[in-house]
Amino acid sequence: MSLVSILTSVVVIGIVWGGLTCFLIKAIKYEKKKLNDGEE
Amino acid sequence: MKQEEYFSSRWTLIISTIGIAVGTGNIWRFSRIVAQNGGGSFLIPWVIFLLIWSVPLIIAEFALGKHTRFGPLGAIAKTAGKNFGWMGSYIVLVSTAIMFYYSVVTGWCLRYFISAVSGNLFKTTDYLSYWNNFSSSFEPMLFHFISMLIVAFVVIRGITNGIEKISKVLIPALLGILLILLARAVSLPNAIEGIKYFFTPDLNMIFDYKIWLNALTQNAWDTGAGWGLILAYGIYMRKKEDITLNAALIGFGNNSVSLLAGITIFSTVFALSSVDAMTQVSESGPANTGLTFIYLPLLFSKITSSNLLNIFFASIFFLALFFAAVTSLISMVELAIRTLIDFGISRKRGLIIVASIAAVMGVPSSMNVDFLLNQDWVWGVGLILSGAFISFSIIKYGADRFRTEIINGTGSDVKIGKWFNFIISILIPVQVVVLISWWLISSTSWDSQWYNPFHIENAGTVIFQWAIVISILILLNKKLVKQTFRD
Repeated sequence: MSLVSILTSVVVIGIVWGGLTCFLIKAIKYEKKKLNDGEE
Repeated sequence: MKQEEYFSSRWTLIISTIGIAVGTGNIWRFSRIVAQNGGGSFLIPWVIFLLIWSVPLIIAEFALGKHTRFGPLGAIAKTAGKNFGWMGSYIVLVSTAIMFYYSVVTGWCLRYFISAVSGNLFKTTDYLSYWNNFSSSFEPMLFHFISMLIVAFVVIRGITNGIEKISKVLIPALLGILLILLARAVSLPNAIEGIKYFFTPDLNMIFDYKIWLNALTQNAWDTGAGWGLILAYGIYMRKKEDITLNAALIGFGNNSVSLLAGITIFSTVFALSSVDAMTQVSESGPANTGLTFIYLPLLFSKITSSNLLNIFFASIFFLALFFAAVTSLISMVELAIRTLIDFGISRKRGLIIVASIAAVMGVPSSMNVDFLLNQDWVWGVGLILSGAFISFSIIKYGADRFRTEIINGTGSDVKIGKWFNFIISILIPVQVVVLISWWLISSTSWDSQWYNPFHIENAGTVIFQWAIVISILILLNKKLVKQTFRD
Protein backbone atom coordinates (compact mmCIF):
# COMPACT_ATOMS: atom_id res chain seq x y z
CA MET A 1 0.00 0.00 0.00
CA SER A 2 1.25 3.48 -0.82
CA LEU A 3 1.84 6.14 1.80
CA VAL A 4 -1.27 8.07 0.66
CA SER A 5 -3.46 4.95 1.07
CA ILE A 6 -2.06 4.28 4.52
CA LEU A 7 -2.58 7.91 5.53
CA THR A 8 -6.17 7.92 4.21
CA SER A 9 -7.02 4.67 5.99
CA VAL A 10 -5.50 5.95 9.26
CA VAL A 11 -7.43 9.25 9.04
CA VAL A 12 -10.78 7.70 8.00
CA ILE A 13 -10.65 4.72 10.37
CA GLY A 14 -9.18 6.94 13.09
CA ILE A 15 -12.01 9.46 12.91
CA VAL A 16 -14.90 7.02 12.40
CA TRP A 17 -13.94 4.03 14.56
CA GLY A 18 -11.79 6.17 16.89
CA GLY A 19 -14.70 8.60 17.35
CA LEU A 20 -17.10 5.74 18.03
CA THR A 21 -14.76 4.22 20.62
CA CYS A 22 -14.20 7.58 22.30
CA PHE A 23 -17.95 8.35 22.54
CA LEU A 24 -18.65 4.82 23.72
CA ILE A 25 -16.10 5.12 26.54
CA LYS A 26 -17.62 8.49 27.52
CA ALA A 27 -21.14 7.03 27.55
CA ILE A 28 -20.03 4.06 29.69
CA LYS A 29 -18.34 6.49 32.10
CA TYR A 30 -21.50 8.61 32.46
CA GLU A 31 -23.70 5.54 32.91
CA LYS A 32 -21.37 4.22 35.64
CA LYS A 33 -21.46 7.62 37.34
CA LYS A 34 -25.27 7.69 37.22
CA LEU A 35 -25.38 4.16 38.63
CA ASN A 36 -23.07 5.15 41.49
CA ASP A 37 -25.19 8.24 42.16
CA GLY A 38 -28.22 5.95 42.37
CA GLU A 39 -30.06 7.62 39.48
CA GLU A 40 -30.96 4.42 37.62
CA MET B 1 -51.26 13.18 25.45
CA LYS B 2 -49.67 11.45 28.41
CA GLN B 3 -46.33 9.86 27.65
CA GLU B 4 -46.57 6.24 28.83
CA GLU B 5 -43.64 4.37 27.39
CA TYR B 6 -39.89 5.03 27.41
CA PHE B 7 -36.80 3.19 26.19
CA SER B 8 -35.63 1.38 29.30
CA SER B 9 -31.98 2.50 29.12
CA ARG B 10 -29.46 4.51 27.13
CA TRP B 11 -28.17 1.31 25.53
CA THR B 12 -31.56 0.10 24.29
CA LEU B 13 -32.24 3.56 22.87
CA ILE B 14 -28.89 3.51 21.05
CA ILE B 15 -29.28 -0.04 19.75
CA SER B 16 -32.81 0.64 18.50
CA THR B 17 -31.78 3.90 16.82
CA ILE B 18 -28.74 2.23 15.25
CA GLY B 19 -31.36 -0.13 13.81
CA ILE B 20 -32.93 2.86 12.02
CA ALA B 21 -29.62 4.14 10.68
CA VAL B 22 -28.08 0.85 9.61
CA GLY B 23 -30.03 -0.35 6.60
CA THR B 24 -29.42 -1.92 3.23
CA GLY B 25 -27.84 1.40 2.12
CA ASN B 26 -24.82 0.76 4.36
CA ILE B 27 -24.19 -2.55 2.67
CA TRP B 28 -25.04 -2.23 -1.01
CA ARG B 29 -25.31 1.51 -1.73
CA PHE B 30 -22.21 2.58 0.16
CA SER B 31 -19.84 0.19 -1.68
CA ARG B 32 -21.28 1.11 -5.08
CA ILE B 33 -21.00 4.84 -4.42
CA VAL B 34 -17.41 4.49 -3.14
CA ALA B 35 -16.49 2.57 -6.31
CA GLN B 36 -18.14 5.14 -8.60
CA ASN B 37 -16.45 8.06 -6.83
CA GLY B 38 -12.78 7.21 -6.77
CA GLY B 39 -12.46 5.00 -3.67
CA GLY B 40 -10.51 6.86 -0.99
CA SER B 41 -11.29 10.26 -2.57
CA PHE B 42 -14.90 9.73 -1.56
CA LEU B 43 -14.16 8.71 2.02
CA ILE B 44 -12.72 12.10 3.02
CA PRO B 45 -15.82 14.23 2.21
CA TRP B 46 -17.99 11.36 3.52
CA VAL B 47 -16.38 11.76 6.96
CA ILE B 48 -16.72 15.58 6.81
CA PHE B 49 -20.46 15.37 6.04
CA LEU B 50 -20.91 12.95 8.95
CA LEU B 51 -19.84 15.89 11.12
CA ILE B 52 -21.70 18.73 9.40
CA TRP B 53 -24.90 16.99 8.27
CA SER B 54 -25.67 13.68 9.97
CA VAL B 55 -24.67 14.25 13.60
CA PRO B 56 -26.23 17.79 13.92
CA LEU B 57 -29.51 16.57 12.38
CA ILE B 58 -29.61 13.47 14.61
CA ILE B 59 -29.09 15.79 17.62
CA ALA B 60 -31.91 18.05 16.34
CA GLU B 61 -34.30 15.13 15.81
CA PHE B 62 -33.68 13.60 19.24
CA ALA B 63 -34.16 17.02 20.85
CA LEU B 64 -37.41 17.73 18.96
CA GLY B 65 -38.90 14.35 19.91
CA LYS B 66 -37.78 14.46 23.54
CA HIS B 67 -38.89 18.07 24.07
CA THR B 68 -42.26 18.04 22.32
CA ARG B 69 -43.27 14.35 22.78
CA PHE B 70 -44.98 14.61 19.38
CA GLY B 71 -44.24 13.14 15.95
CA PRO B 72 -42.84 15.48 13.25
CA LEU B 73 -46.19 17.23 12.61
CA GLY B 74 -46.74 18.21 16.24
CA ALA B 75 -43.03 18.79 16.89
CA ILE B 76 -42.63 21.29 14.05
CA ALA B 77 -45.97 22.98 14.78
CA LYS B 78 -44.85 23.37 18.39
CA THR B 79 -41.40 24.78 17.63
CA ALA B 80 -41.86 26.69 14.36
CA GLY B 81 -45.53 27.61 14.75
CA LYS B 82 -48.86 26.01 13.81
CA ASN B 83 -48.76 27.44 10.26
CA PHE B 84 -45.72 25.27 9.56
CA GLY B 85 -47.18 21.98 10.75
CA TRP B 86 -47.45 20.88 7.11
CA MET B 87 -43.65 20.64 7.03
CA GLY B 88 -43.87 17.93 9.68
CA SER B 89 -46.64 16.22 7.71
CA TYR B 90 -44.35 16.30 4.66
CA ILE B 91 -41.56 14.60 6.66
CA VAL B 92 -43.97 11.83 7.73
CA LEU B 93 -45.32 11.45 4.22
CA VAL B 94 -41.86 11.14 2.62
CA SER B 95 -40.73 8.45 5.07
CA THR B 96 -44.06 6.66 4.65
CA ALA B 97 -43.75 6.74 0.85
CA ILE B 98 -40.27 5.23 1.25
CA MET B 99 -41.74 2.58 3.60
CA PHE B 100 -44.08 1.42 0.80
CA TYR B 101 -41.21 0.28 -1.41
CA TYR B 102 -38.67 -0.42 1.35
CA SER B 103 -40.94 -3.25 2.47
CA VAL B 104 -40.55 -4.72 -1.04
CA VAL B 105 -36.74 -4.45 -0.78
CA THR B 106 -36.91 -6.12 2.67
CA GLY B 107 -38.88 -8.92 1.00
CA TRP B 108 -36.16 -9.37 -1.65
CA CYS B 109 -33.56 -9.82 1.11
CA LEU B 110 -35.75 -12.39 2.88
CA ARG B 111 -36.36 -14.30 -0.35
CA TYR B 112 -32.63 -14.41 -1.21
CA PHE B 113 -31.86 -15.54 2.35
CA ILE B 114 -34.32 -18.43 1.96
CA SER B 115 -32.86 -19.26 -1.46
CA ALA B 116 -29.34 -19.25 -0.01
CA VAL B 117 -30.23 -21.44 3.00
CA SER B 118 -32.02 -23.97 0.83
CA GLY B 119 -29.06 -24.14 -1.57
CA ASN B 120 -31.36 -23.12 -4.41
CA LEU B 121 -29.30 -19.97 -5.04
CA PHE B 122 -26.30 -22.03 -6.15
CA LYS B 123 -28.23 -24.19 -8.61
CA THR B 124 -27.68 -21.56 -11.29
CA THR B 125 -24.74 -19.65 -12.71
CA ASP B 126 -26.80 -17.04 -14.55
CA TYR B 127 -27.74 -14.69 -11.73
CA LEU B 128 -29.13 -11.98 -13.98
CA SER B 129 -31.78 -14.41 -15.30
CA TYR B 130 -32.32 -15.65 -11.74
CA TRP B 131 -33.03 -12.06 -10.64
CA ASN B 132 -35.21 -11.34 -13.70
CA ASN B 133 -37.28 -14.48 -13.15
CA PHE B 134 -37.75 -13.62 -9.50
CA SER B 135 -38.56 -9.93 -9.99
CA SER B 136 -41.11 -10.62 -12.71
CA SER B 137 -42.95 -13.27 -10.68
CA PHE B 138 -45.57 -12.90 -7.90
CA GLU B 139 -42.89 -13.59 -5.27
CA PRO B 140 -41.77 -9.97 -4.60
CA MET B 141 -45.39 -9.17 -3.69
CA LEU B 142 -45.67 -12.21 -1.44
CA PHE B 143 -42.42 -11.41 0.37
CA HIS B 144 -43.45 -7.74 0.67
CA PHE B 145 -46.61 -8.90 2.53
CA ILE B 146 -44.57 -11.26 4.73
CA SER B 147 -42.11 -8.45 5.62
CA MET B 148 -44.95 -6.12 6.53
CA LEU B 149 -46.53 -8.85 8.70
CA ILE B 150 -43.26 -9.49 10.55
CA VAL B 151 -42.82 -5.78 11.22
CA ALA B 152 -46.46 -5.36 12.31
CA PHE B 153 -45.97 -8.23 14.78
CA VAL B 154 -43.07 -6.29 16.38
CA VAL B 155 -44.58 -2.79 16.34
CA ILE B 156 -47.92 -3.86 17.88
CA ARG B 157 -46.01 -4.73 21.05
CA GLY B 158 -44.89 -1.13 21.48
CA ILE B 159 -41.50 0.27 22.37
CA THR B 160 -40.13 -1.78 25.27
CA ASN B 161 -41.75 -5.13 24.45
CA GLY B 162 -41.48 -4.84 20.68
CA ILE B 163 -38.93 -2.49 19.11
CA GLU B 164 -36.46 -2.58 22.00
CA LYS B 165 -36.54 -6.38 22.39
CA ILE B 166 -36.13 -7.18 18.70
CA SER B 167 -33.35 -4.59 18.25
CA LYS B 168 -31.44 -6.12 21.17
CA VAL B 169 -31.31 -9.38 19.21
CA LEU B 170 -31.05 -8.25 15.58
CA ILE B 171 -28.43 -5.48 15.86
CA PRO B 172 -25.78 -7.50 17.75
CA ALA B 173 -26.53 -10.43 15.39
CA LEU B 174 -26.06 -8.15 12.37
CA LEU B 175 -22.73 -6.88 13.69
CA GLY B 176 -21.61 -10.42 14.51
CA ILE B 177 -22.43 -11.60 10.99
CA LEU B 178 -20.61 -8.64 9.42
CA LEU B 179 -17.52 -9.44 11.52
CA ILE B 180 -17.59 -13.12 10.42
CA LEU B 181 -17.90 -12.02 6.79
CA LEU B 182 -15.10 -9.46 7.26
CA ALA B 183 -12.80 -12.13 8.71
CA ARG B 184 -13.45 -14.41 5.72
CA ALA B 185 -13.17 -11.61 3.17
CA VAL B 186 -9.83 -10.18 4.35
CA SER B 187 -8.32 -13.66 4.54
CA LEU B 188 -9.01 -14.31 0.84
CA PRO B 189 -5.98 -14.21 -1.46
CA ASN B 190 -5.72 -10.84 -3.25
CA ALA B 191 -8.13 -9.21 -0.76
CA ILE B 192 -5.49 -6.55 -0.13
CA GLU B 193 -6.10 -5.19 -3.67
CA GLY B 194 -9.69 -4.38 -2.71
CA ILE B 195 -8.62 -2.74 0.56
CA LYS B 196 -5.99 -0.75 -1.36
CA TYR B 197 -8.57 0.57 -3.80
CA PHE B 198 -11.00 1.32 -0.98
CA PHE B 199 -8.49 3.54 0.81
CA THR B 200 -6.49 5.00 -2.09
CA PRO B 201 -7.63 8.53 -2.96
CA ASP B 202 -7.44 9.68 -6.54
CA LEU B 203 -5.94 13.10 -5.91
CA ASN B 204 -7.30 14.42 -9.24
CA MET B 205 -10.83 13.60 -8.14
CA ILE B 206 -10.73 14.97 -4.62
CA PHE B 207 -11.78 18.47 -5.71
CA ASP B 208 -14.47 17.19 -8.07
CA TYR B 209 -17.74 18.70 -6.78
CA LYS B 210 -19.68 15.55 -7.75
CA ILE B 211 -17.76 13.50 -5.19
CA TRP B 212 -18.64 15.99 -2.46
CA LEU B 213 -22.30 15.99 -3.45
CA ASN B 214 -22.40 12.19 -3.56
CA ALA B 215 -20.75 12.07 -0.14
CA LEU B 216 -23.43 14.39 1.25
CA THR B 217 -26.21 12.38 -0.40
CA GLN B 218 -24.82 9.14 0.99
CA ASN B 219 -24.75 10.61 4.50
CA ALA B 220 -28.28 11.97 4.13
CA TRP B 221 -29.70 8.65 2.91
CA ASP B 222 -27.63 6.33 4.97
CA THR B 223 -27.72 7.70 8.53
CA GLY B 224 -31.46 8.33 8.61
CA ALA B 225 -30.78 11.93 9.66
CA GLY B 226 -33.62 14.22 8.65
CA TRP B 227 -36.11 11.41 7.96
CA GLY B 228 -38.18 12.06 11.12
CA LEU B 229 -37.56 8.45 12.23
CA ILE B 230 -35.04 9.38 14.93
CA LEU B 231 -37.46 12.11 16.06
CA ALA B 232 -40.14 9.42 16.52
CA TYR B 233 -37.80 7.36 18.74
CA GLY B 234 -36.78 10.56 20.58
CA ILE B 235 -40.37 10.79 21.86
CA TYR B 236 -39.68 7.70 23.96
CA MET B 237 -36.42 9.00 25.50
CA ARG B 238 -36.48 9.22 29.29
CA LYS B 239 -36.54 12.76 30.74
CA LYS B 240 -33.02 12.41 32.11
CA GLU B 241 -31.64 10.99 28.85
CA ASP B 242 -28.69 12.66 27.15
CA ILE B 243 -29.04 13.88 23.56
CA THR B 244 -25.65 14.90 22.16
CA LEU B 245 -23.56 11.90 23.15
CA ASN B 246 -26.26 9.45 22.05
CA ALA B 247 -26.60 11.22 18.69
CA ALA B 248 -22.83 11.10 18.14
CA LEU B 249 -22.78 7.39 18.97
CA ILE B 250 -25.48 6.73 16.38
CA GLY B 251 -23.86 8.78 13.60
CA PHE B 252 -20.40 7.33 14.17
CA GLY B 253 -21.81 3.83 14.79
CA ASN B 254 -23.66 3.93 11.50
CA ASN B 255 -20.63 5.04 9.49
CA SER B 256 -18.49 2.43 11.28
CA VAL B 257 -20.84 -0.27 9.98
CA SER B 258 -20.55 1.19 6.47
CA LEU B 259 -16.74 0.99 6.67
CA LEU B 260 -16.97 -2.61 7.87
CA ALA B 261 -19.30 -3.54 5.00
CA GLY B 262 -17.15 -1.62 2.47
CA ILE B 263 -13.93 -3.41 3.44
CA THR B 264 -15.76 -6.77 3.31
CA ILE B 265 -17.31 -6.18 -0.12
CA PHE B 266 -14.22 -4.68 -1.76
CA SER B 267 -12.01 -7.51 -0.43
CA THR B 268 -14.47 -10.17 -1.65
CA VAL B 269 -14.99 -8.66 -5.09
CA PHE B 270 -11.29 -8.01 -5.78
CA ALA B 271 -10.31 -11.47 -4.51
CA LEU B 272 -12.89 -13.54 -6.35
CA SER B 273 -13.89 -11.61 -9.44
CA SER B 274 -12.77 -13.25 -12.66
CA VAL B 275 -13.65 -10.15 -14.70
CA ASP B 276 -13.11 -6.48 -13.97
CA ALA B 277 -13.72 -6.09 -10.23
CA MET B 278 -14.45 -2.37 -10.50
CA THR B 279 -17.23 -2.94 -13.03
CA GLN B 280 -18.86 -5.39 -10.66
CA VAL B 281 -18.79 -3.09 -7.65
CA SER B 282 -19.85 0.07 -9.47
CA GLU B 283 -22.42 -1.43 -11.84
CA SER B 284 -25.93 -0.40 -10.81
CA GLY B 285 -27.85 -3.25 -12.40
CA PRO B 286 -31.64 -3.39 -12.27
CA ALA B 287 -33.03 -1.15 -9.49
CA ASN B 288 -29.44 -0.44 -8.39
CA THR B 289 -29.23 -3.98 -7.05
CA GLY B 290 -26.65 -5.38 -9.47
CA LEU B 291 -23.91 -5.85 -6.91
CA THR B 292 -26.07 -7.42 -4.21
CA PHE B 293 -28.48 -9.65 -6.06
CA ILE B 294 -26.51 -10.50 -9.18
CA TYR B 295 -22.74 -10.37 -8.59
CA LEU B 296 -22.43 -11.24 -4.91
CA PRO B 297 -24.33 -14.57 -5.19
CA LEU B 298 -21.89 -15.49 -7.97
CA LEU B 299 -18.92 -14.55 -5.79
CA PHE B 300 -20.33 -16.40 -2.76
CA SER B 301 -20.48 -19.56 -4.88
CA LYS B 302 -16.65 -19.36 -5.04
CA ILE B 303 -15.83 -18.02 -1.57
CA THR B 304 -14.50 -21.43 -0.38
CA SER B 305 -14.00 -24.81 -2.03
CA SER B 306 -16.80 -26.31 0.09
CA ASN B 307 -20.36 -25.91 -1.19
CA LEU B 308 -21.72 -26.12 2.38
CA LEU B 309 -19.51 -23.27 3.55
CA ASN B 310 -20.48 -21.20 0.51
CA ILE B 311 -24.14 -21.73 1.42
CA PHE B 312 -23.32 -20.68 5.00
CA PHE B 313 -21.58 -17.44 3.96
CA ALA B 314 -24.26 -16.50 1.41
CA SER B 315 -27.02 -17.26 3.94
CA ILE B 316 -25.56 -15.11 6.72
CA PHE B 317 -24.91 -12.27 4.23
CA PHE B 318 -28.54 -12.14 3.13
CA LEU B 319 -29.67 -12.65 6.73
CA ALA B 320 -27.61 -9.59 7.75
CA LEU B 321 -29.14 -7.65 4.88
CA PHE B 322 -32.63 -8.72 6.00
CA PHE B 323 -31.93 -7.75 9.63
CA ALA B 324 -30.62 -4.34 8.50
CA ALA B 325 -33.71 -3.79 6.35
CA VAL B 326 -36.24 -5.01 8.90
CA THR B 327 -34.97 -2.78 11.76
CA SER B 328 -35.17 0.27 9.47
CA LEU B 329 -38.64 -0.74 8.23
CA ILE B 330 -39.83 -1.03 11.85
CA SER B 331 -38.93 2.63 12.45
CA MET B 332 -40.79 3.76 9.30
CA VAL B 333 -43.94 1.94 10.44
CA GLU B 334 -43.51 3.36 13.96
CA LEU B 335 -43.25 6.92 12.57
CA ALA B 336 -46.52 6.55 10.65
CA ILE B 337 -48.27 4.98 13.65
CA ARG B 338 -46.93 7.64 16.02
CA THR B 339 -48.51 10.32 13.83
CA LEU B 340 -51.86 8.51 14.09
CA ILE B 341 -51.40 8.15 17.88
CA ASP B 342 -50.93 11.96 17.98
CA PHE B 343 -54.30 12.22 16.21
CA GLY B 344 -55.87 10.22 19.06
CA ILE B 345 -55.95 6.80 17.38
CA SER B 346 -54.82 3.79 19.43
CA ARG B 347 -51.57 1.95 18.53
CA LYS B 348 -53.51 -1.19 17.58
CA ARG B 349 -55.91 0.65 15.29
CA GLY B 350 -53.09 2.77 13.91
CA LEU B 351 -51.11 -0.34 13.07
CA ILE B 352 -54.04 -1.92 11.23
CA ILE B 353 -54.47 1.28 9.18
CA VAL B 354 -50.74 1.71 8.43
CA ALA B 355 -50.04 -1.96 7.66
CA SER B 356 -53.11 -2.27 5.39
CA ILE B 357 -52.27 0.90 3.45
CA ALA B 358 -48.58 -0.09 3.21
CA ALA B 359 -49.49 -3.58 1.97
CA VAL B 360 -51.61 -2.10 -0.84
CA MET B 361 -49.31 0.82 -1.71
CA GLY B 362 -46.27 -1.47 -1.90
CA VAL B 363 -47.88 -3.65 -4.57
CA PRO B 364 -46.97 -1.44 -7.61
CA SER B 365 -43.29 -1.39 -6.51
CA SER B 366 -43.33 -5.15 -5.99
CA MET B 367 -44.69 -5.73 -9.50
CA ASN B 368 -42.72 -3.12 -11.40
CA VAL B 369 -39.10 -2.25 -10.69
CA ASP B 370 -39.43 1.00 -12.69
CA PHE B 371 -42.18 2.18 -10.35
CA LEU B 372 -39.93 1.40 -7.38
CA LEU B 373 -37.08 3.34 -9.03
CA ASN B 374 -39.36 6.34 -9.58
CA GLN B 375 -40.46 6.38 -5.94
CA ASP B 376 -36.88 5.92 -4.74
CA TRP B 377 -35.82 8.90 -6.89
CA VAL B 378 -38.69 11.22 -5.94
CA TRP B 379 -38.70 10.58 -2.18
CA GLY B 380 -34.95 9.99 -1.91
CA VAL B 381 -34.36 13.57 -3.09
CA GLY B 382 -37.38 14.57 -0.98
CA LEU B 383 -35.48 13.55 2.16
CA ILE B 384 -33.11 16.47 1.68
CA LEU B 385 -36.13 18.78 1.96
CA SER B 386 -37.16 16.93 5.14
CA GLY B 387 -33.75 17.78 6.63
CA ALA B 388 -34.28 21.41 5.59
CA PHE B 389 -37.66 21.54 7.37
CA ILE B 390 -36.12 20.23 10.61
CA SER B 391 -33.39 22.87 10.34
CA PHE B 392 -36.03 25.55 9.58
CA SER B 393 -38.08 24.69 12.67
CA ILE B 394 -35.01 25.15 14.87
CA ILE B 395 -34.06 28.44 13.20
CA LYS B 396 -37.64 29.64 13.77
CA TYR B 397 -37.55 28.58 17.42
CA GLY B 398 -34.12 30.18 17.83
CA ALA B 399 -31.05 28.01 17.32
CA ASP B 400 -29.28 29.27 20.43
CA ARG B 401 -32.40 28.94 22.60
CA PHE B 402 -32.94 25.41 21.22
CA ARG B 403 -29.34 24.50 22.00
CA THR B 404 -29.19 25.90 25.53
CA GLU B 405 -32.71 25.05 26.74
CA ILE B 406 -33.43 21.76 25.02
CA ILE B 407 -30.22 20.04 23.90
CA ASN B 408 -28.16 21.15 26.88
CA GLY B 409 -31.17 20.90 29.22
CA THR B 410 -32.24 18.15 31.63
CA GLY B 411 -30.20 14.97 31.41
CA SER B 412 -27.44 16.20 29.12
CA ASP B 413 -24.09 14.58 29.81
CA VAL B 414 -22.27 16.61 27.18
CA LYS B 415 -22.99 20.29 26.59
CA ILE B 416 -22.95 21.24 22.93
CA GLY B 417 -21.15 24.42 21.87
CA LYS B 418 -22.17 27.38 19.70
CA TRP B 419 -20.89 25.60 16.57
CA PHE B 420 -24.25 23.83 16.51
CA ASN B 421 -26.02 27.19 15.84
CA PHE B 422 -23.77 27.82 12.84
CA ILE B 423 -24.24 24.35 11.37
CA ILE B 424 -28.02 24.25 11.79
CA SER B 425 -28.68 27.87 10.70
CA ILE B 426 -26.13 28.28 7.91
CA LEU B 427 -24.39 25.09 6.81
CA ILE B 428 -27.41 22.79 6.58
CA PRO B 429 -29.58 25.26 4.59
CA VAL B 430 -26.63 25.87 2.22
CA GLN B 431 -26.10 22.12 1.78
CA VAL B 432 -29.82 21.65 1.05
CA VAL B 433 -29.96 24.38 -1.61
CA VAL B 434 -26.77 23.17 -3.33
CA LEU B 435 -27.76 19.51 -3.23
CA ILE B 436 -31.34 19.87 -4.47
CA SER B 437 -30.29 22.30 -7.22
CA TRP B 438 -27.53 19.96 -8.32
CA TRP B 439 -29.77 16.89 -8.42
CA LEU B 440 -32.50 18.66 -10.35
CA ILE B 441 -30.17 20.47 -12.79
CA SER B 442 -28.09 17.35 -13.50
CA SER B 443 -31.28 15.39 -14.13
CA THR B 444 -31.96 17.71 -17.09
CA SER B 445 -28.81 16.45 -18.78
CA TRP B 446 -29.85 12.78 -18.71
CA ASP B 447 -33.41 13.37 -19.89
CA SER B 448 -34.15 15.76 -22.75
CA GLN B 449 -37.80 15.74 -21.62
CA TRP B 450 -36.79 16.73 -18.09
CA TYR B 451 -40.17 18.40 -17.55
CA ASN B 452 -42.22 15.25 -18.30
CA PRO B 453 -43.79 14.16 -14.97
CA PHE B 454 -44.35 10.61 -16.21
CA HIS B 455 -40.69 9.72 -16.72
CA ILE B 456 -38.93 7.53 -14.16
CA GLU B 457 -36.00 9.70 -13.05
CA ASN B 458 -36.12 13.37 -13.98
CA ALA B 459 -36.83 16.79 -12.53
CA GLY B 460 -40.44 16.82 -13.80
CA THR B 461 -41.58 13.78 -11.85
CA VAL B 462 -40.00 15.13 -8.64
CA ILE B 463 -41.55 18.60 -8.94
CA PHE B 464 -44.93 17.14 -9.97
CA GLN B 465 -45.20 14.70 -7.05
CA TRP B 466 -43.78 17.14 -4.48
CA ALA B 467 -46.19 19.86 -5.65
CA ILE B 468 -49.23 17.59 -5.28
CA VAL B 469 -48.21 16.40 -1.81
CA ILE B 470 -47.20 19.84 -0.47
CA SER B 471 -50.37 21.50 -1.82
CA ILE B 472 -52.60 18.89 -0.16
CA LEU B 473 -50.69 19.12 3.12
CA ILE B 474 -50.89 22.93 3.20
CA LEU B 475 -54.64 22.73 2.52
CA LEU B 476 -55.13 20.19 5.32
CA ASN B 477 -52.70 21.88 7.72
CA LYS B 478 -55.22 23.64 9.96
CA LYS B 479 -57.29 20.48 10.39
CA LEU B 480 -54.31 18.21 11.07
CA VAL B 481 -52.73 20.61 13.56
CA LYS B 482 -56.07 21.06 15.36
CA GLN B 483 -56.46 17.28 15.61
CA THR B 484 -52.91 16.90 16.97
CA PHE B 485 -53.37 19.59 19.65
CA ARG B 486 -57.03 18.74 20.43
CA ASP B 487 -56.29 18.45 24.18
